[in-house]
Amino acid sequence: MRAVLILAVKSAWARRLTLSVTLCAIALASALLFAVERVRHDARQSFTQAVSGVDLVVGARSGGVQLMLHAVFHSGSATHNIRWESFEAIATHPAVDWAVPLVLGDSHRGFPVLGTPPDYFRHFQYSDQRPLAFAAGQAFADIFETVLGSAVAAELKLDVGDRIALTHGMAEAGPGHDDKPFTVVGVLAPTGTPVDRGVHVSLESISAIHLDWAGGAPLPGLAIPAEFVRKFDLQPKEITALLIGLKNRADVFRLQRHINSYRGEPLMAVMPGVALDELWQTLGMVEQTLLAMSALVVVIGLAGLLATMLAGLNERRRELAILRALGASPRDLFLMLTAEGLLITTLGVAFGLGLLAVGTFFFAPLLQAHFGIILQWRLFAPNEWLLLAAILATGLVASLIPGARAWRMSLADGLTPRN
Amino acid sequence: MPSLFFSAALIAALALLPVAHAAKGHAHGEGRLDVAIGKEQIVLSLELPLDAAIGFERAPKNDKEKALLAAAAATLNDAAALFLPTPAASCTLHSVQIDMPQFDGGAHADIAANYTFRCANPAALKSIETTLFRSFKRLYRIEVQRVSPAGQGAARLSPKQSVLSW
Repeated sequence: MRAVLILAVKSAWARRLTLSVTLCAIALASALLFAVERVRHDARQSFTQAVSGVDLVVGARSGGVQLMLHAVFHSGSATHNIRWESFEAIATHPAVDWAVPLVLGDSHRGFPVLGTPPDYFRHFQYSDQRPLAFAAGQAFADIFETVLGSAVAAELKLDVGDRIALTHGMAEAGPGHDDKPFTVVGVLAPTGTPVDRGVHVSLESISAIHLDWAGGAPLPGLAIPAEFVRKFDLQPKEITALLIGLKNRADVFRLQRHINSYRGEPLMAVMPGVALDELWQTLGMVEQTLLAMSALVVVIGLAGLLATMLAGLNERRRELAILRALGASPRDLFLMLTAEGLLITTLGVAFGLGLLAVGTFFFAPLLQAHFGIILQWRLFAPNEWLLLAAILATGLVASLIPGARAWRMSLADGLTPRN
Repeated sequence: MPSLFFSAALIAALALLPVAHAAKGHAHGEGRLDVAIGKEQIVLSLELPLDAAIGFERAPKNDKEKALLAAAAATLNDAAALFLPTPAASCTLHSVQIDMPQFDGGAHADIAANYTFRCANPAALKSIETTLFRSFKRLYRIEVQRVSPAGQGAARLSPKQSVLSW
Protein backbone atom coordinates (compact mmCIF):
# COMPACT_ATOMS: atom_id res chain seq x y z
CA MET A 1 0.00 0.00 0.00
CA ARG A 2 2.70 2.45 1.05
CA ALA A 3 4.88 1.47 -1.84
CA VAL A 4 1.99 2.12 -4.19
CA LEU A 5 1.46 5.59 -2.77
CA ILE A 6 5.14 6.45 -3.03
CA LEU A 7 5.06 5.19 -6.60
CA ALA A 8 2.03 7.40 -7.29
CA VAL A 9 3.81 10.49 -6.00
CA LYS A 10 6.98 9.74 -7.93
CA SER A 11 5.06 9.02 -11.10
CA ALA A 12 3.14 12.26 -10.74
CA TRP A 13 6.40 14.15 -10.17
CA ALA A 14 7.74 12.71 -13.41
CA ARG A 15 4.81 14.30 -15.24
CA ARG A 16 4.85 17.48 -13.19
CA LEU A 17 4.50 19.94 -16.07
CA THR A 18 1.15 18.64 -17.33
CA LEU A 19 -0.18 18.05 -13.84
CA SER A 20 0.85 21.47 -12.55
CA VAL A 21 -1.31 23.13 -15.20
CA THR A 22 -4.28 21.10 -13.99
CA LEU A 23 -3.34 21.89 -10.42
CA CYS A 24 -3.36 25.62 -11.19
CA ALA A 25 -6.83 25.35 -12.70
CA ILE A 26 -8.14 23.60 -9.59
CA ALA A 27 -6.43 26.12 -7.31
CA LEU A 28 -7.95 29.10 -9.14
CA ALA A 29 -11.38 27.47 -9.26
CA SER A 30 -11.48 26.62 -5.58
CA ALA A 31 -10.10 30.04 -4.62
CA LEU A 32 -12.97 31.60 -6.58
CA LEU A 33 -15.58 29.40 -4.90
CA PHE A 34 -14.27 30.12 -1.41
CA ALA A 35 -14.00 33.84 -2.16
CA VAL A 36 -17.61 34.05 -3.32
CA GLU A 37 -18.81 32.21 -0.23
CA ARG A 38 -16.66 34.28 2.09
CA VAL A 39 -17.67 37.65 0.66
CA ARG A 40 -21.32 36.59 0.79
CA HIS A 41 -21.05 35.56 4.42
CA ASP A 42 -18.96 38.50 5.57
CA ALA A 43 -21.08 41.05 3.71
CA ARG A 44 -24.09 39.89 5.72
CA GLN A 45 -22.07 40.01 8.91
CA SER A 46 -20.77 43.53 8.29
CA PHE A 47 -24.13 44.93 7.26
CA THR A 48 -25.83 43.38 10.28
CA GLN A 49 -23.20 44.88 12.58
CA ALA A 50 -23.70 48.30 11.07
CA VAL A 51 -27.39 48.36 11.99
CA SER A 52 -27.27 46.36 15.23
CA GLY A 53 -27.41 49.38 17.54
CA VAL A 54 -30.44 51.04 15.96
CA ASP A 55 -33.96 49.81 16.77
CA LEU A 56 -35.93 51.87 14.27
CA VAL A 57 -35.20 54.10 11.30
CA VAL A 58 -37.88 56.69 10.59
CA GLY A 59 -38.29 58.59 7.35
CA ALA A 60 -40.79 59.69 4.75
CA ARG A 61 -42.94 56.87 3.42
CA SER A 62 -41.09 54.94 0.70
CA GLY A 63 -39.63 51.44 0.63
CA GLY A 64 -38.33 49.99 3.87
CA VAL A 65 -35.08 48.77 2.34
CA GLN A 66 -34.60 52.06 0.52
CA LEU A 67 -35.03 54.08 3.70
CA MET A 68 -32.70 51.82 5.67
CA LEU A 69 -30.02 51.94 2.95
CA HIS A 70 -30.21 55.70 2.75
CA ALA A 71 -30.26 56.46 6.47
CA VAL A 72 -27.69 53.89 7.62
CA PHE A 73 -25.57 53.22 4.54
CA HIS A 74 -26.01 56.65 2.88
CA SER A 75 -26.63 55.07 -0.51
CA GLY A 76 -29.50 56.06 -2.78
CA SER A 77 -31.67 59.01 -1.87
CA ALA A 78 -34.73 59.95 0.15
CA THR A 79 -38.05 60.71 -1.48
CA HIS A 80 -39.09 63.39 1.01
CA ASN A 81 -37.88 65.05 4.16
CA ILE A 82 -39.72 64.94 7.45
CA ARG A 83 -40.67 67.92 9.53
CA TRP A 84 -38.82 68.94 12.66
CA GLU A 85 -42.09 68.84 14.63
CA SER A 86 -42.51 65.17 13.73
CA PHE A 87 -39.06 64.48 15.09
CA GLU A 88 -39.93 66.21 18.35
CA ALA A 89 -43.21 64.34 18.66
CA ILE A 90 -41.52 60.97 18.20
CA ALA A 91 -38.46 61.75 20.32
CA THR A 92 -40.67 62.42 23.35
CA HIS A 93 -42.56 59.12 23.08
CA PRO A 94 -42.16 57.26 26.41
CA ALA A 95 -40.73 54.12 24.78
CA VAL A 96 -37.91 56.06 23.13
CA ASP A 97 -34.52 55.98 24.84
CA TRP A 98 -32.74 58.19 22.32
CA ALA A 99 -33.61 59.68 18.95
CA VAL A 100 -31.03 61.22 16.63
CA PRO A 101 -32.08 63.28 13.60
CA LEU A 102 -30.03 63.05 10.42
CA VAL A 103 -29.73 65.43 7.48
CA LEU A 104 -28.11 63.94 4.37
CA GLY A 105 -27.49 65.28 0.89
CA ASP A 106 -24.15 67.06 0.83
CA SER A 107 -20.76 65.51 0.34
CA HIS A 108 -17.05 66.09 0.57
CA ARG A 109 -15.06 64.58 -2.32
CA GLY A 110 -17.48 61.69 -2.66
CA PHE A 111 -17.89 61.05 1.07
CA PRO A 112 -21.40 61.65 2.42
CA VAL A 113 -21.94 64.53 4.83
CA LEU A 114 -24.08 63.68 7.84
CA GLY A 115 -25.77 66.53 9.68
CA THR A 116 -26.55 65.39 13.20
CA PRO A 117 -26.46 66.61 16.80
CA PRO A 118 -23.35 65.75 18.89
CA ASP A 119 -25.59 63.21 20.72
CA TYR A 120 -25.02 60.96 17.74
CA PHE A 121 -21.53 60.10 18.97
CA ARG A 122 -22.92 59.15 22.36
CA HIS A 123 -25.88 57.05 21.20
CA PHE A 124 -24.84 55.34 18.00
CA GLN A 125 -23.63 51.80 18.60
CA TYR A 126 -22.43 49.07 16.28
CA SER A 127 -21.68 45.33 16.48
CA ASP A 128 -22.86 44.22 19.92
CA GLN A 129 -23.22 47.56 21.63
CA ARG A 130 -19.83 49.07 20.95
CA PRO A 131 -19.98 52.86 21.14
CA LEU A 132 -18.18 55.19 18.77
CA ALA A 133 -14.72 56.24 19.92
CA PHE A 134 -12.52 59.16 18.91
CA ALA A 135 -9.07 58.40 17.53
CA ALA A 136 -8.22 62.09 17.82
CA GLY A 137 -9.95 65.28 18.92
CA GLN A 138 -13.54 65.38 20.12
CA ALA A 139 -17.14 65.95 18.99
CA PHE A 140 -18.03 69.21 17.28
CA ALA A 141 -19.40 71.91 19.54
CA ASP A 142 -19.85 74.79 17.10
CA ILE A 143 -20.89 75.44 13.53
CA PHE A 144 -18.30 74.93 10.79
CA GLU A 145 -16.66 72.15 12.77
CA THR A 146 -16.55 68.56 11.50
CA VAL A 147 -15.76 65.08 12.76
CA LEU A 148 -14.44 62.66 10.13
CA GLY A 149 -14.90 58.92 9.90
CA SER A 150 -11.64 56.96 9.94
CA ALA A 151 -11.73 56.10 6.21
CA VAL A 152 -12.29 59.73 5.21
CA ALA A 153 -9.35 60.90 7.29
CA ALA A 154 -7.10 58.12 6.02
CA GLU A 155 -7.98 58.41 2.33
CA LEU A 156 -7.86 62.20 2.14
CA LYS A 157 -4.93 62.41 4.58
CA LEU A 158 -6.76 64.81 6.85
CA ASP A 159 -6.17 65.39 10.52
CA VAL A 160 -7.46 67.54 13.35
CA GLY A 161 -6.97 71.20 12.49
CA ASP A 162 -7.26 70.78 8.70
CA ARG A 163 -9.91 72.72 6.78
CA ILE A 164 -12.28 71.25 4.18
CA ALA A 165 -15.08 72.58 1.98
CA LEU A 166 -18.33 70.71 1.42
CA THR A 167 -20.05 70.13 -1.90
CA HIS A 168 -23.78 70.37 -2.56
CA GLY A 169 -25.17 66.99 -3.60
CA MET A 170 -23.24 63.77 -4.00
CA ALA A 171 -21.39 64.61 -7.23
CA GLU A 172 -17.69 65.25 -6.72
CA ALA A 173 -17.86 68.36 -8.89
CA GLY A 174 -21.18 69.74 -7.70
CA PRO A 175 -21.79 73.37 -6.75
CA GLY A 176 -19.56 74.15 -3.82
CA HIS A 177 -19.91 75.54 -0.32
CA ASP A 178 -16.34 76.84 -0.55
CA ASP A 179 -17.27 80.17 1.00
CA LYS A 180 -17.86 78.44 4.36
CA PRO A 181 -15.03 75.98 5.06
CA PHE A 182 -15.12 73.54 7.98
CA THR A 183 -12.39 72.79 10.50
CA VAL A 184 -11.71 69.16 11.42
CA VAL A 185 -12.05 68.86 15.22
CA GLY A 186 -12.23 65.08 15.57
CA VAL A 187 -11.46 61.80 13.83
CA LEU A 188 -13.36 58.65 14.79
CA ALA A 189 -11.71 55.29 15.42
CA PRO A 190 -12.35 52.66 12.70
CA THR A 191 -15.64 50.77 13.11
CA GLY A 192 -15.95 48.75 9.91
CA THR A 193 -19.35 50.35 9.32
CA PRO A 194 -20.52 53.20 7.04
CA VAL A 195 -19.64 55.57 9.91
CA ASP A 196 -16.03 55.32 8.69
CA ARG A 197 -17.01 57.06 5.45
CA GLY A 198 -19.04 59.83 7.06
CA VAL A 199 -18.23 63.53 7.33
CA HIS A 200 -20.17 64.57 10.44
CA VAL A 201 -21.28 68.14 11.04
CA SER A 202 -23.90 69.73 13.26
CA LEU A 203 -27.46 70.31 12.07
CA GLU A 204 -26.92 74.06 12.48
CA SER A 205 -23.91 73.91 10.14
CA ILE A 206 -26.06 72.35 7.43
CA SER A 207 -28.60 75.16 7.81
CA ALA A 208 -25.82 77.75 7.81
CA ILE A 209 -24.24 76.67 4.53
CA HIS A 210 -27.64 76.66 2.82
CA LEU A 211 -28.80 80.06 4.13
CA ASP A 212 -28.06 81.86 0.86
CA TRP A 213 -29.32 78.96 -1.25
CA ALA A 214 -32.72 78.26 -2.75
CA GLY A 215 -33.92 75.44 -4.96
CA GLY A 216 -30.57 73.66 -4.88
CA ALA A 217 -28.44 76.57 -6.14
CA PRO A 218 -26.82 79.66 -4.63
CA LEU A 219 -29.11 82.71 -4.79
CA PRO A 220 -27.60 85.12 -7.32
CA GLY A 221 -26.45 88.37 -5.77
CA LEU A 222 -26.86 87.07 -2.21
CA ALA A 223 -23.89 85.83 -0.28
CA ILE A 224 -24.03 85.65 3.47
CA PRO A 225 -20.47 85.65 4.85
CA ALA A 226 -19.64 82.93 7.36
CA GLU A 227 -19.30 85.39 10.23
CA PHE A 228 -22.89 86.61 9.87
CA VAL A 229 -24.73 83.28 9.82
CA ARG A 230 -25.12 83.24 13.60
CA LYS A 231 -27.61 86.09 13.31
CA PHE A 232 -30.05 83.69 11.65
CA ASP A 233 -32.23 80.96 13.14
CA LEU A 234 -30.21 77.87 12.35
CA GLN A 235 -32.65 75.36 13.80
CA PRO A 236 -33.39 72.97 10.89
CA LYS A 237 -36.94 72.91 9.58
CA GLU A 238 -36.67 69.51 8.01
CA ILE A 239 -34.59 66.39 8.48
CA THR A 240 -33.95 63.42 6.22
CA ALA A 241 -34.30 60.59 8.67
CA LEU A 242 -34.31 59.70 12.32
CA LEU A 243 -32.54 56.90 14.19
CA ILE A 244 -34.20 55.55 17.31
CA GLY A 245 -32.98 53.45 20.22
CA LEU A 246 -35.57 52.03 22.61
CA LYS A 247 -35.56 51.57 26.35
CA ASN A 248 -36.94 48.08 25.84
CA ARG A 249 -36.18 46.49 22.48
CA ALA A 250 -39.38 44.40 22.60
CA ASP A 251 -41.44 47.64 22.37
CA VAL A 252 -40.36 48.09 18.76
CA PHE A 253 -43.61 46.87 17.17
CA ARG A 254 -45.72 49.13 19.35
CA LEU A 255 -43.70 52.21 18.42
CA GLN A 256 -43.53 51.14 14.78
CA ARG A 257 -47.34 51.03 14.60
CA HIS A 258 -47.53 54.35 16.39
CA ILE A 259 -45.21 56.04 13.90
CA ASN A 260 -46.74 54.41 10.82
CA SER A 261 -50.12 55.82 11.82
CA TYR A 262 -48.72 59.24 12.85
CA ARG A 263 -51.23 61.88 11.80
CA GLY A 264 -48.93 64.87 11.25
CA GLU A 265 -47.47 63.58 7.98
CA PRO A 266 -46.95 60.23 6.24
CA LEU A 267 -44.04 58.61 8.06
CA MET A 268 -42.54 55.18 7.99
CA ALA A 269 -40.68 53.35 10.73
CA VAL A 270 -38.45 50.52 9.58
CA MET A 271 -36.71 47.91 11.69
CA PRO A 272 -33.25 47.97 10.09
CA GLY A 273 -32.56 44.29 10.83
CA VAL A 274 -35.84 43.31 9.22
CA ALA A 275 -35.20 45.48 6.15
CA LEU A 276 -31.74 43.94 5.83
CA ASP A 277 -33.19 40.42 5.90
CA GLU A 278 -35.68 41.45 3.24
CA LEU A 279 -32.78 42.71 1.14
CA TRP A 280 -30.99 39.36 1.56
CA GLN A 281 -34.17 37.51 0.64
CA THR A 282 -34.24 39.48 -2.61
CA LEU A 283 -30.53 39.13 -3.26
CA GLY A 284 -30.65 35.42 -2.38
CA MET A 285 -31.22 34.49 -6.00
CA VAL A 286 -28.17 36.51 -7.14
CA GLU A 287 -26.05 34.92 -4.42
CA GLN A 288 -27.18 31.43 -5.36
CA THR A 289 -26.39 32.10 -9.02
CA LEU A 290 -22.90 33.36 -8.18
CA LEU A 291 -22.27 30.39 -5.94
CA ALA A 292 -23.58 27.95 -8.56
CA MET A 293 -21.37 29.51 -11.23
CA SER A 294 -18.25 29.24 -9.10
CA ALA A 295 -19.17 25.65 -8.23
CA LEU A 296 -19.41 24.98 -11.95
CA VAL A 297 -15.93 26.45 -12.45
CA VAL A 298 -14.63 23.97 -9.86
CA VAL A 299 -16.35 21.12 -11.74
CA ILE A 300 -14.72 22.30 -14.96
CA GLY A 301 -11.33 22.36 -13.21
CA LEU A 302 -11.86 18.80 -12.01
CA ALA A 303 -13.03 17.76 -15.48
CA GLY A 304 -9.69 19.08 -16.71
CA LEU A 305 -7.98 16.83 -14.19
CA LEU A 306 -9.99 13.88 -15.46
CA ALA A 307 -9.13 14.66 -19.09
CA THR A 308 -5.41 15.02 -18.30
CA MET A 309 -5.33 11.74 -16.43
CA LEU A 310 -7.28 9.84 -19.10
CA ALA A 311 -5.01 11.20 -21.82
CA GLY A 312 -2.00 10.30 -19.67
CA LEU A 313 -3.26 6.79 -19.33
CA ASN A 314 -2.58 6.11 -23.01
CA GLU A 315 0.97 7.39 -22.74
CA ARG A 316 1.53 5.37 -19.58
CA ARG A 317 0.51 2.01 -21.07
CA ARG A 318 4.09 0.77 -20.86
CA GLU A 319 4.59 2.05 -17.34
CA LEU A 320 1.45 0.36 -16.08
CA ALA A 321 2.15 -2.87 -17.95
CA ILE A 322 5.65 -3.04 -16.50
CA LEU A 323 4.26 -2.50 -13.02
CA ARG A 324 1.82 -5.33 -13.62
CA ALA A 325 4.67 -7.54 -14.90
CA LEU A 326 6.63 -6.74 -11.75
CA GLY A 327 3.80 -8.07 -9.64
CA ALA A 328 1.46 -5.11 -9.07
CA SER A 329 -2.13 -6.28 -8.92
CA PRO A 330 -4.88 -4.47 -10.87
CA ARG A 331 -6.05 -3.19 -7.48
CA ASP A 332 -2.66 -1.57 -6.89
CA LEU A 333 -2.90 0.27 -10.19
CA PHE A 334 -6.41 1.41 -9.39
CA LEU A 335 -5.19 2.70 -6.05
CA MET A 336 -2.22 4.43 -7.63
CA LEU A 337 -4.28 6.33 -10.18
CA THR A 338 -6.96 7.30 -7.67
CA ALA A 339 -4.33 8.46 -5.20
CA GLU A 340 -2.76 10.61 -7.91
CA GLY A 341 -6.06 12.30 -8.73
CA LEU A 342 -6.87 12.91 -5.11
CA LEU A 343 -3.38 14.24 -4.46
CA ILE A 344 -3.71 16.79 -7.25
CA THR A 345 -7.16 17.83 -6.02
CA THR A 346 -5.99 18.25 -2.42
CA LEU A 347 -2.90 20.19 -3.46
CA GLY A 348 -5.04 22.32 -5.76
CA VAL A 349 -7.46 23.20 -2.98
CA ALA A 350 -4.58 23.92 -0.62
CA PHE A 351 -3.00 26.29 -3.15
CA GLY A 352 -6.44 27.79 -3.73
CA LEU A 353 -6.79 28.57 -0.03
CA GLY A 354 -3.32 30.09 -0.05
CA LEU A 355 -4.37 32.22 -2.99
CA LEU A 356 -7.50 33.24 -1.08
CA ALA A 357 -5.43 34.30 1.93
CA VAL A 358 -3.15 36.41 -0.28
CA GLY A 359 -6.16 37.85 -2.12
CA THR A 360 -7.89 38.68 1.16
CA PHE A 361 -4.78 40.47 2.33
CA PHE A 362 -4.71 42.68 -0.75
CA PHE A 363 -8.40 43.20 -1.42
CA ALA A 364 -9.87 43.34 2.09
CA PRO A 365 -8.96 47.04 2.61
CA LEU A 366 -10.56 47.84 -0.76
CA LEU A 367 -13.78 46.01 0.09
CA GLN A 368 -13.94 47.72 3.45
CA ALA A 369 -13.30 51.18 2.06
CA HIS A 370 -15.80 50.94 -0.78
CA PHE A 371 -18.57 48.72 0.53
CA GLY A 372 -18.03 48.56 4.29
CA ILE A 373 -17.55 44.81 4.09
CA ILE A 374 -14.97 43.47 6.51
CA LEU A 375 -13.39 40.20 5.43
CA GLN A 376 -12.59 38.16 8.52
CA TRP A 377 -9.26 36.45 8.93
CA ARG A 378 -10.18 32.87 9.71
CA LEU A 379 -9.38 29.39 8.52
CA PHE A 380 -12.85 27.98 8.03
CA ALA A 381 -16.46 28.71 8.78
CA PRO A 382 -18.76 25.67 9.16
CA ASN A 383 -20.28 26.03 5.69
CA GLU A 384 -16.78 26.33 4.21
CA TRP A 385 -15.94 22.89 5.59
CA LEU A 386 -18.93 21.64 3.61
CA LEU A 387 -17.59 23.27 0.44
CA LEU A 388 -14.16 21.77 1.07
CA ALA A 389 -15.66 18.30 1.55
CA ALA A 390 -17.74 18.72 -1.61
CA ILE A 391 -14.68 19.66 -3.71
CA LEU A 392 -12.64 16.74 -2.38
CA ALA A 393 -15.53 14.33 -2.93
CA THR A 394 -15.96 15.49 -6.53
CA GLY A 395 -12.19 15.18 -7.02
CA LEU A 396 -12.33 11.62 -5.67
CA VAL A 397 -15.16 10.68 -8.03
CA ALA A 398 -13.21 12.18 -10.96
CA SER A 399 -10.09 10.19 -9.96
CA LEU A 400 -11.98 6.90 -9.72
CA ILE A 401 -12.58 6.90 -13.47
CA PRO A 402 -8.93 6.72 -14.63
CA GLY A 403 -8.35 4.30 -11.74
CA ALA A 404 -11.07 2.01 -13.02
CA ARG A 405 -9.70 2.18 -16.55
CA ALA A 406 -6.22 1.26 -15.35
CA TRP A 407 -7.73 -1.68 -13.50
CA ARG A 408 -9.34 -2.96 -16.66
CA MET A 409 -6.35 -2.52 -18.94
CA SER A 410 -4.81 -5.90 -19.45
CA LEU A 411 -1.16 -6.70 -19.13
CA ALA A 412 -0.95 -7.71 -22.76
CA ASP A 413 -2.47 -4.42 -23.87
CA GLY A 414 0.55 -2.46 -22.80
CA LEU A 415 3.27 -4.87 -23.80
CA THR A 416 2.11 -5.60 -27.31
CA PRO A 417 3.36 -2.94 -29.70
CA ARG A 418 0.48 -1.78 -31.85
CA ASN A 419 2.35 -1.38 -35.07
CA MET B 1 -16.18 50.68 -11.56
CA PRO B 2 -17.11 48.05 -8.99
CA SER B 3 -19.17 50.53 -6.97
CA LEU B 4 -21.24 51.34 -10.03
CA PHE B 5 -21.88 47.66 -10.59
CA PHE B 6 -22.80 47.26 -6.94
CA SER B 7 -25.25 50.16 -7.08
CA ALA B 8 -26.80 48.76 -10.23
CA ALA B 9 -27.28 45.41 -8.52
CA LEU B 10 -28.84 47.12 -5.52
CA ILE B 11 -31.21 49.14 -7.62
CA ALA B 12 -32.22 46.03 -9.54
CA ALA B 13 -32.81 44.29 -6.24
CA LEU B 14 -34.89 47.19 -4.93
CA ALA B 15 -37.14 47.03 -7.94
CA LEU B 16 -37.88 43.40 -7.14
CA LEU B 17 -38.66 44.01 -3.50
CA PRO B 18 -42.15 43.42 -2.20
CA VAL B 19 -44.04 46.43 -0.83
CA ALA B 20 -42.68 47.11 2.64
CA HIS B 21 -44.48 46.29 5.85
CA ALA B 22 -45.17 49.91 6.59
CA ALA B 23 -47.78 50.30 3.91
CA LYS B 24 -50.41 48.24 5.66
CA GLY B 25 -51.47 45.90 2.93
CA HIS B 26 -53.99 43.16 2.85
CA ALA B 27 -53.31 40.13 0.69
CA HIS B 28 -55.54 37.09 0.81
CA GLY B 29 -53.66 34.02 1.97
CA GLU B 30 -50.89 36.12 3.51
CA GLY B 31 -50.65 36.53 7.26
CA ARG B 32 -48.30 38.69 9.28
CA LEU B 33 -46.63 37.84 12.53
CA ASP B 34 -44.65 40.12 14.84
CA VAL B 35 -42.48 38.22 17.29
CA ALA B 36 -41.08 40.13 20.25
CA ILE B 37 -38.73 38.07 22.41
CA GLY B 38 -38.07 39.74 25.73
CA LYS B 39 -36.08 38.61 28.74
CA GLU B 40 -38.65 36.14 29.99
CA GLN B 41 -41.56 36.33 27.64
CA ILE B 42 -42.49 36.05 23.99
CA VAL B 43 -45.23 38.22 22.56
CA LEU B 44 -46.70 37.07 19.26
CA SER B 45 -48.97 39.41 17.31
CA LEU B 46 -50.70 37.68 14.45
CA GLU B 47 -52.71 39.34 11.72
CA LEU B 48 -54.65 37.01 9.45
CA PRO B 49 -56.88 37.96 6.52
CA LEU B 50 -60.27 36.49 7.33
CA ASP B 51 -60.34 34.97 3.88
CA ALA B 52 -57.33 32.80 4.73
CA ALA B 53 -59.14 31.45 7.79
CA ILE B 54 -62.67 30.84 6.54
CA GLY B 55 -62.80 31.66 2.82
CA PHE B 56 -64.89 34.84 2.91
CA GLU B 57 -64.59 38.35 4.36
CA ARG B 58 -68.13 39.37 5.22
CA ALA B 59 -70.60 38.75 7.99
CA PRO B 60 -71.70 35.10 8.07
CA LYS B 61 -75.01 34.60 6.27
CA ASN B 62 -76.18 31.25 7.56
CA ASP B 63 -75.54 28.75 10.33
CA LYS B 64 -72.86 26.95 8.37
CA GLU B 65 -70.85 30.12 7.90
CA LYS B 66 -71.38 31.08 11.53
CA ALA B 67 -70.00 27.71 12.55
CA LEU B 68 -66.96 28.23 10.32
CA LEU B 69 -66.27 31.56 11.98
CA ALA B 70 -66.64 30.10 15.45
CA ALA B 71 -64.36 27.19 14.55
CA ALA B 72 -61.66 29.60 13.32
CA ALA B 73 -61.90 31.56 16.57
CA ALA B 74 -61.64 28.35 18.57
CA THR B 75 -58.54 27.25 16.62
CA LEU B 76 -56.88 30.61 17.17
CA ASN B 77 -57.72 30.47 20.86
CA ASP B 78 -55.90 27.18 21.29
CA ALA B 79 -52.51 28.88 21.32
CA ALA B 80 -50.64 26.02 22.97
CA ALA B 81 -51.35 23.91 19.90
CA LEU B 82 -50.78 26.77 17.46
CA PHE B 83 -47.28 27.85 18.49
CA LEU B 84 -44.57 25.48 19.69
CA PRO B 85 -41.48 27.25 21.09
CA THR B 86 -38.27 25.22 21.61
CA PRO B 87 -39.29 22.64 24.27
CA ALA B 88 -36.06 23.16 26.25
CA ALA B 89 -37.04 26.77 26.93
CA SER B 90 -40.10 25.48 28.90
CA CYS B 91 -42.46 28.18 27.72
CA THR B 92 -46.05 28.21 28.89
CA LEU B 93 -48.97 30.15 27.55
CA HIS B 94 -49.71 33.21 29.62
CA SER B 95 -52.46 35.06 27.77
CA VAL B 96 -54.47 35.02 24.56
CA GLN B 97 -56.47 37.83 23.04
CA ILE B 98 -58.38 37.36 19.80
CA ASP B 99 -60.05 40.25 17.95
CA MET B 100 -62.52 38.87 15.42
CA PRO B 101 -63.54 41.31 12.68
CA GLN B 102 -66.58 43.49 13.27
CA PHE B 103 -67.78 43.52 9.63
CA ASP B 104 -68.25 47.27 9.58
CA GLY B 105 -68.60 47.53 5.85
CA GLY B 106 -64.94 47.63 4.81
CA ALA B 107 -63.81 45.73 1.75
CA HIS B 108 -61.51 43.50 3.78
CA ALA B 109 -61.51 41.95 7.21
CA ASP B 110 -58.61 40.78 9.36
CA ILE B 111 -58.34 38.73 12.50
CA ALA B 112 -55.87 40.10 15.04
CA ALA B 113 -54.53 37.84 17.73
CA ASN B 114 -52.06 38.45 20.55
CA TYR B 115 -50.33 35.67 22.42
CA THR B 116 -47.97 35.91 25.37
CA PHE B 117 -45.77 33.04 26.48
CA ARG B 118 -43.61 32.99 29.61
CA CYS B 119 -40.39 31.03 29.42
CA ALA B 120 -38.56 29.46 32.38
CA ASN B 121 -35.35 29.03 30.42
CA PRO B 122 -35.30 31.76 27.76
CA ALA B 123 -31.65 31.11 26.88
CA ALA B 124 -32.67 27.83 25.25
CA LEU B 125 -35.27 29.49 23.04
CA LYS B 126 -34.06 29.07 19.48
CA SER B 127 -37.17 28.55 17.39
CA ILE B 128 -40.95 28.65 17.26
CA GLU B 129 -42.95 26.24 15.15
CA THR B 130 -46.43 27.10 14.02
CA THR B 131 -49.29 24.78 13.03
CA LEU B 132 -51.28 27.63 11.47
CA PHE B 133 -50.79 26.24 7.98
CA ARG B 134 -52.28 22.90 8.99
CA SER B 135 -55.39 24.55 10.40
CA PHE B 136 -55.86 27.12 7.65
CA LYS B 137 -55.37 25.57 4.24
CA ARG B 138 -55.92 28.84 2.38
CA LEU B 139 -53.01 30.43 4.19
CA TYR B 140 -49.86 30.11 2.11
CA ARG B 141 -47.46 32.59 3.62
CA ILE B 142 -46.71 34.47 6.83
CA GLU B 143 -44.33 37.43 6.79
CA VAL B 144 -42.51 37.55 10.11
CA GLN B 145 -40.77 40.46 11.81
CA ARG B 146 -38.76 39.39 14.82
CA VAL B 147 -36.96 41.24 17.57
CA SER B 148 -34.91 39.67 20.34
CA PRO B 149 -32.15 40.86 22.64
CA ALA B 150 -29.75 39.51 19.99
CA GLY B 151 -31.17 41.64 17.19
CA GLN B 152 -33.83 41.93 14.55
CA GLY B 153 -34.74 39.80 11.59
CA ALA B 154 -37.32 38.99 8.98
CA ALA B 155 -38.50 35.60 7.79
CA ARG B 156 -41.11 34.10 5.57
CA LEU B 157 -43.05 31.09 6.80
CA SER B 158 -44.92 28.78 4.47
CA PRO B 159 -46.55 25.34 4.67
CA LYS B 160 -43.17 23.85 3.75
CA GLN B 161 -41.22 26.05 6.15
CA SER B 162 -43.31 26.34 9.29
CA VAL B 163 -40.48 26.73 11.78
CA LEU B 164 -39.19 30.18 12.67
CA SER B 165 -35.62 29.89 13.92
CA TRP B 166 -32.83 32.35 14.60
